[in-house]
Amino acid sequence: MTAYRLPAGGLVDRAAALNFTFDGQVMQGFAGDTLASALLANDQVLVGRSFKYHRPRGIVTAGPSEPNALVTIGSDARTDPNTKATVAELYAGLEAKSQNRWPSLKHDIGALNGILSPFLSAGFYYKTFMWPAAFWEKVYEPIIRKAAGLGRAVLERDPETYEKCWAHCDLLIVGSGPTGLMAALVAGRAGLRVILADEGFRHGGSLLSETTPIDGAPATAFVETAIAELETFSNVTLMARTTVFGWYDDNVFGALERVQKHVAAPSSKLPVERVWRIAARRALIATGAEERPLVFGGNDRPGVMMAGALSTYTNRYGVAGGKSMAIFTSGSAGYRAAADLAAHGIDITAVIDSRADSTDVVASGTRIIRGGSVVDTKGRLRLSGVIVERSGFEENIDCDVLGMSGGFSPIIHLACQRGAKPVWSEALQAFVAPDVGAGLRLAGSAAGVYSLLACLKDGAEKSQAIIADLGLSTTSADLPAVGNELNPSFVSLWYVAGAKSKAFVDFQNDVHVKDLGLALREGFGHVEHAKRYTTNGMATDQGKLSNINAIGILSGMQGISPADVGTTTFRPFYTPVPFGALAGTSRDEHAAPKRVSPLHGWAAKNGAVFIDSGLWYRPSWFARAGEKTWRESVDREVLNVRANVGLCDVSTLGKIEVFGSDAAEFLNRLYCNPFLKLPVGKARYGLMLREDGMIYDDGTTSRLSDAHFLVTTTTALAGGVMSHMEYCAQVLWPELNVRFCSVSDQWAQMAIAGPKARLVVQALVEDDVSNVVFPFLAAKPVTLKGGLKARLFRISFSGELAYELAVPAGYGESVADAVMEAGKAHGICAYGLEALNVLRIEKGHVTHAELDGRVTPDDAGFGRMLSSQKADFIGKRLSTRFGLTAADRMQMVGLKPVDKDKDIRAGAHLLREGAKPSTLNDQGYVSSACYSPVLGQFIALAFLKSGRERYGEKVVVWDRLRGEETLAEVCNPVFVDPANSKLNA
Amino acid sequence: MVHQFQERHALEELVPLEAAASADHLAVVVRQAIVTVLAADGHERAVASVLSSDEDISVRFSAPGEWLVVSGAQTPELLHQALSALLGETAYCIDQSHGRVLLRLSGPNARAILAKGVGIDLHPSAFQIGQSANVLCAHISINLALVGGDQFEIIVMRSFAESLLHDLRQMGRAFDLSVSFSP
Repeated sequence: MTAYRLPAGGLVDRAAALNFTFDGQVMQGFAGDTLASALLANDQVLVGRSFKYHRPRGIVTAGPSEPNALVTIGSDARTDPNTKATVAELYAGLEAKSQNRWPSLKHDIGALNGILSPFLSAGFYYKTFMWPAAFWEKVYEPIIRKAAGLGRAVLERDPETYEKCWAHCDLLIVGSGPTGLMAALVAGRAGLRVILADEGFRHGGSLLSETTPIDGAPATAFVETAIAELETFSNVTLMARTTVFGWYDDNVFGALERVQKHVAAPSSKLPVERVWRIAARRALIATGAEERPLVFGGNDRPGVMMAGALSTYTNRYGVAGGKSMAIFTSGSAGYRAAADLAAHGIDITAVIDSRADSTDVVASGTRIIRGGSVVDTKGRLRLSGVIVERSGFEENIDCDVLGMSGGFSPIIHLACQRGAKPVWSEALQAFVAPDVGAGLRLAGSAAGVYSLLACLKDGAEKSQAIIADLGLSTTSADLPAVGNELNPSFVSLWYVAGAKSKAFVDFQNDVHVKDLGLALREGFGHVEHAKRYTTNGMATDQGKLSNINAIGILSGMQGISPADVGTTTFRPFYTPVPFGALAGTSRDEHAAPKRVSPLHGWAAKNGAVFIDSGLWYRPSWFARAGEKTWRESVDREVLNVRANVGLCDVSTLGKIEVFGSDAAEFLNRLYCNPFLKLPVGKARYGLMLREDGMIYDDGTTSRLSDAHFLVTTTTALAGGVMSHMEYCAQVLWPELNVRFCSVSDQWAQMAIAGPKARLVVQALVEDDVSNVVFPFLAAKPVTLKGGLKARLFRISFSGELAYELAVPAGYGESVADAVMEAGKAHGICAYGLEALNVLRIEKGHVTHAELDGRVTPDDAGFGRMLSSQKADFIGKRLSTRFGLTAADRMQMVGLKPVDKDKDIRAGAHLLREGAKPSTLNDQGYVSSACYSPVLGQFIALAFLKSGRERYGEKVVVWDRLRGEETLAEVCNPVFVDPANSKLNA
Repeated sequence: MVHQFQERHALEELVPLEAAASADHLAVVVRQAIVTVLAADGHERAVASVLSSDEDISVRFSAPGEWLVVSGAQTPELLHQALSALLGETAYCIDQSHGRVLLRLSGPNARAILAKGVGIDLHPSAFQIGQSANVLCAHISINLALVGGDQFEIIVMRSFAESLLHDLRQMGRAFDLSVSFSP
């Protein structure tokens, strides 16, 4: 028992004891603890097993750079693997489990990997791919999967809720340490809209562990005063527990707010986590600096920790990591930590300083070994001592904790996430952010300014510069007095020579110095290659501690500067973000909006079975009592439409009204067929092509007055056609006087089709709808009996005598009810998408199943629609390309199985009779197929090479997916009423 | 056969006719008149000035030379006729009263609720009374207008209204957002 809670001190609430469990064992911490500080207070230094060698590992840091203390928090579906104990806020009832060990943390079978380590060198993973091939799937992969890894993801449905939110500000300040707080005070006082975000659960950053007094009082008092003042500003938003994880275009920042991660029972009214998108005019990055670990033999032993973290645990949490501590440092910061610890009565056995000529002292007269280095550590699951070497003399020093301090690296991730490469500063011995423009500046330690007073000053000055840059006036900032400053000087020490055991560079990925050497030897010395080859800097910590040392070692091995090695690429996210948070509310029924037809209620009460159709939710068929299969319903609907009359919801078609003196000319250029001479009161079928000559969309367009048209589009391309028209009007032909707008949602539209359709329509409409007055393709405003204004179109998709009746959407259901009532005497039925599809296949009408972007008008049998009279239209030029006029193009035909009992399915390919089933012999494909109740057999629409010359020929329908070959006869694609006598009746 | 057709609101049965209003409330307007006005080429400024001088209507900018004109008092037919007469040859007027649903979101947390779906800056200094914008609210396109201190009006396409209602309810759950029809 060595780590313990100090009798007093720290920012924890000793009156609020919180019970939690670690691997089932009940422990106690206080409000204000992290899980890591509470574990240390319970002398739980060993917290996990390493990724590859399953070496025992302990807590190293007190923050988000933690490589080792990854635990699984929660239970059942509410389980979060790979949570850093060093940032997890303690709450009552928290359940934590260690990871990557079996059967227990103390006795881990996987530790055998450590003995096998000569075979598990860097790149071993890739080498297992090489030989023998069969070994990969059967041997290596399962073993590696089982042995390696972090926590396990839960397979249960995530019960938590998440959301996303936007925020806007003049100035986003990332980090509420001394720099960020000072910057926020200055900007807040000047009236800027400020957001101050900090990943911690308490604002103050490094000030929460600071022992230097500010204005003669503890630093935490300065934090409290500053926060209290900021809270009075309506223009300042304080966001704690919020990690700014990414910098994106237009100065938008991504941030993750842990709204309820720290509560035992989350409220259902709030998300557990929230992703913010913060659009900031300016951003100030005050993220501080990271203390560097040292790479020496046995440096991964539990009990070896960052010196600064030891200070944080004692000063902020009132926890001592051990009873007797040694410090290994290459700079003055190690002395500062030693003084902090000694002030709490902790025995400092020695300060080992790699610098022979340093002059730092620890006030208490602690032993200092200048020019010394740690070459190995002792102990098994816990450090018991270190071996220190100086000039060839080795000495054992007993200690249960070793603090290490290798200098500082500014935390510049956010500034470098958009392509700017960090720049090596010889003076700072660190990579710093380059100038990335006025939108983002760095201040304080993130800019290489390390002393407290300098940070406060830098925060104030950079804030003032931003205020001036935004054109506002600034006030002068009174800087507080700061005493007893930290000396931040250090000497880079990338690698401690003489290591007697593995010297780890990356704790999380078990990368040691020799792995980097192997990478270099095997030709993977480039920093990006070395990362992939050794996995240094990967996984959840993304090398926050290890990257800089890996770069230093690679530079040292090659005798070049770290500037020449460079860094790996910085990318979002700064720390891991759950997928659930990124999805926000966009899951389940909120994953995509549902569009509801104005006739939805009518369809539902008529027994519709609905189907998703794009965003729409449309009636597929209308089941009646006694019908056992969908086909029974569909066959009945089809036969009834052919014999009597049916009503189908076609409200989902796109409808665009076009106005202007050039409206006709506009449409004439948009469609491949002519529109200039379309008479008022008439509809015409139109084909729009793409520039490449392929069909884009089809639909009917009606002329309502000389300069007023109504374009209809397919349901699928309603939005696309609208955009296409906007492009044509704004970019291609700005000279045309034309305006248009979508009215898709204004009208409920119903198709009334069948030989008895006129009887039904006439019962509802005041106007004369006789064949003479209202012939095929008539399109006019009408008045319904009772006075409702409507639009009536005599158009037909089914091939029957048919009308489409459009009424203002709110009246849709009521009018549809009236149509059903009026049609009762004539045997009317509701019919859905399936019947509609059968009816149009029987008639040889196309949909996007045929018009799939590979089909020209001639392919689909519309060759004569291409106007040769028109000077130009979209698609005209490229329609004459050789390939588009070739004689062996696939043309649309009909297919009927020779054996009437056989079926055909869409997607099957066509072969000549006797040809070997192979795509080399491909003759075409089936685009649509259905059972035709009228013909009493399956029929299909297909595209066949030179198809129109091959009516009567027999081809093989080859359905490779189902392993079927069916002989079918090629025929005219119009199966029903080729003379159009029903249409015109 | 003479028919008296019934009008059905897109959110009928999904929203209570009356409900106790929380501080933050979403009112679904039962009946409104909304007309799209498209200025004819060259008449954009003239139309804008005519529309802005009419105090009986509220005008929502939706694109260059394009507005949604909203009236709570007029019927769709009368608004359409009045605008057609007022603007004559200078603009095309299209009735959208059935194609759109009008919602009023008000309360001290209206901005916080909208920020969960809308990406534009709604701070009073950035989005002022009388301003409107076509924006996405989560996945759905809406026209958003500030009509009072913390009162917003949302115009959404009819077919999307149900999904938007679900989204707004979810966005407002932290603030106990209440929803009801409003005459």
